[in-house]
Amino acid sequence: MREMGLTAQNIERRRNFVGLDSDDSKRIVRIQELVEGHLEELTSVFFAFLGGIDEARPLLGNRDIIEKVRLLKKEHLSEMVRGEYGTDYIEQRVRLAVVYSNAGLASRVFLGAYHHMLRALGVLVMKHSEHDPMAGFESYMSLKKVAFLDIGIIVDVIVFERERVIRQQQEAIRELSTPVLQIRERLLLLPIIGVIDTQRARLITDSLLRSIRANRARVVVVDVTGVATIDSKVANHLLQTVTAARLMGATAIVTGISSEVAQSLVGLGIDLVKFNTVGDLQGGIEEAERLIGYRVIQTTDNGAAEHMKEA
Amino acid sequence: MPAETRVAIDRETDIVTARQKGRELAAACGFASTDQTLIALAISELARNIVVYAQRGEIIVKSEFGERRGIEIVARDQGPGILNVALALQDGYSTAKSLGLGLPGARRVMDEFEIDSAPGRGTTVTVRKWVR
Repeated sequence: MREMGLTAQNIERRRNFVGLDSDDSKRIVRIQELVEGHLEELTSVFFAFLGGIDEARPLLGNRDIIEKVRLLKKEHLSEMVRGEYGTDYIEQRVRLAVVYSNAGLASRVFLGAYHHMLRALGVLVMKHSEHDPMAGFESYMSLKKVAFLDIGIIVDVIVFERERVIRQQQEAIRELSTPVLQIRERLLLLPIIGVIDTQRARLITDSLLRSIRANRARVVVVDVTGVATIDSKVANHLLQTVTAARLMGATAIVTGISSEVAQSLVGLGIDLVKFNTVGDLQGGIEEAERLIGYRVIQTTDNGAAEHMKEA
Repeated sequence: MPAETRVAIDRETDIVTARQKGRELAAACGFASTDQTLIALAISELARNIVVYAQRGEIIVKSEFGERRGIEIVARDQGPGILNVALALQDGYSTAKSLGLGLPGARRVMDEFEIDSAPGRGTTVTVRKWVR
């Protein structure tokens, strides 16, 4: 529920979408007794429809599931006419939807079955409203709002469950995509590639600070060549990371700011003085080595010797 | 050919979607690479404000091919609105502990800027940039 953002506020919003209010509840309660008396018959319409199509086989083929679903469906119908459509009601809808989703029931198949059951319910209501057909019709129309509330939930759950796999993969990629590399003793490299959102920014800061401590790093080179857009939020994250690194005794050098990004930062009015910047990654590493006190000297191998002779 | 794209904004990933659509449209419009980035930046800031302050809203990106070629971005929400618009347009002012550079920054990188906001009425920001 919480994962899907189904808060009390969201549920109220969903009720507003379908126009469900307390007057509807009153009209629905008028047919409560009638529907309660026909629960078995109405749920049978739902499952009879599913029984006739191939796509529902994963759901109907399993006896354990089918018993559970029949029970939940009957509970659904009975709750549907009780007039209360708060958190408890929505929780039940989610529970049933998760069962559908796990059984691989597609939303179009569910919608077909649900439609047939509602039609049977409508016929039943009208048959018992001969004395006042208008009242019967009104009750049914109010119930239809509940039905659309249900459909909204169930379709969202089916989509949400399907997207779960994608989200898990994204999480995995996110973990992989923020390596902190040690180049030399006390010199770290943090290459940032792609889109930085709040969560990823936090992850980057965390892993960098941990690595600074573990490697007793003096200098960190943060390379942003792979970041296409730096807006004020991302710039703020970078600033905070640089400041935190400084507090832990490490100097941060930012490299790879493209001309577009540089103009963005100037446009935003970000104080670049706080960034210790060097044009490209190579220059940044050289600067870092100089800060720590390394000197890199080219050995005279064959290639270099040849070159020298020519000169 | 004039084009229009709408992106519903209600979570952080929508900001990236809006930004990418804006960049595509800006490229099709004939903007240079730097200007494309600045347009994407403005969209990013406006969409971010929607997520942070109003939770949901929309970004409309329109390319114009009238007398002048250019792009128009409308960021609209029905959030709480801005109490003091003049203050919100000042550098470094923020009610959300951010840098406070988003709105003034978006204004600086674009050619035209309009804002309509009042408490309880929501906020609409319209910005335009012309191909030079």
